[in-house]
Amino acid sequence: MAATSSYMASNSFSMLGWRSSNKQLIKRSVYSVSAQQAEVEEEEVKKAETEKVEENKKLKQEAPTMSPPRPVEPQLNVQSKNMGREYGGQWLSSTTRHVRIYAAYIDPETCEFDQTQMDKLTLLLDPTDEFVWTDETCTKVYSYFQELVDHYEGAPLTEYTLRLIGSDIEHYIRKLLYEGEIQYNMDARVLNFSMGKPRVGFSYDGQLQDVK
Amino acid sequence: MQGRLSAWLVKHGIIHRSLGFDYQGIETLQIKPEDWHSIAVILYVYGYNYLRCQCAYDVAPGGLLASVYHLTRIEYGVDQPEEVCIKVFASRRNPRIPSVFWVWKSVDFQERESYDMLGISYDNHPRLKRILMPESWIGWPLRKDYIAPNFYEIQDAH
Repeated sequence: MAATSSYMASNSFSMLGWRSSNKQLIKRSVYSVSAQQAEVEEEEVKKAETEKVEENKKLKQEAPTMSPPRPVEPQLNVQSKNMGREYGGQWLSSTTRHVRIYAAYIDPETCEFDQTQMDKLTLLLDPTDEFVWTDETCTKVYSYFQELVDHYEGAPLTEYTLRLIGSDIEHYIRKLLYEGEIQYNMDARVLNFSMGKPRVGFSYDGQLQDVK
Repeated sequence: MQGRLSAWLVKHGIIHRSLGFDYQGIETLQIKPEDWHSIAVILYVYGYNYLRCQCAYDVAPGGLLASVYHLTRIEYGVDQPEEVCIKVFASRRNPRIPSVFWVWKSVDFQERESYDMLGISYDNHPRLKRILMPESWIGWPLRKDYIAPNFYEIQDAH
């Protein structure tokens, strides 16, 4: 996992080092959840959601029905902390192909991975760039993420809970795909159509796709 | 129908219940959880020095949980060793069974797996924690009332 080791010279964010043309988009929200530790009751949860879209544009579009992502002020001089072997060499995360959630603050510019800030969840959306994302669809995913984190407020901060959130986001991404709001990126590095083969005239009716 | 071991146990006044014989003719006994540790020591002293298998299962939906022990008596010059199968049933609400780790050390990982899959907590086990599932997992996957969470990678990744 090259979350922080890919410290690129350019200021463009790259989760995985092969793309240098990734542009980042930072959108963060502040809200409070209670984490697992008893001494930490109410915490600020910030999401630094990093996404590759066009040039660094802040999202302004908001879908009418869903709550807009709440803004979060960026942090300065983030340092990588608690990443070493003496801290276990691992981090609290839920990683699937399109959704990577870390209980840490990841600086979108420098990829510094501050694991001391476990009160924040960071979502990396589709780091392998399998789909074509627009600002609008990104906003949908982010606000859905925000809703989910609000929903799981008070739950213990464990891998299991993060996995529940990440799986729901994956299902939501697949729903977006079936509704035709996002498309497969035909220029992706790995083109295996991991959410089902493309179809013509396929309408999503809430049912899952048949598995052969 | 009573086997040799059951007769021996009756002679020494040890409470048990005979469950008959399995398809290989191995005697099967049911023992209460509260008696199991002392009876395990007795069986070890009797000569069952080899715990061949330990497993657990969920008997019925809403029913009891069972922990099964296959014991063998290994001696020199024996080609048909004595075997016995012990079943210990525990309630689903509070499944507590004494661990026989201190009698047969080989039950260590087996009891951890039984704990992981069915949630039977073995008393006096030295390190009873999940062995197959992640430690933050919720629920006991092999119970009949377990509902698998709708995780993405498990069911949908291809």
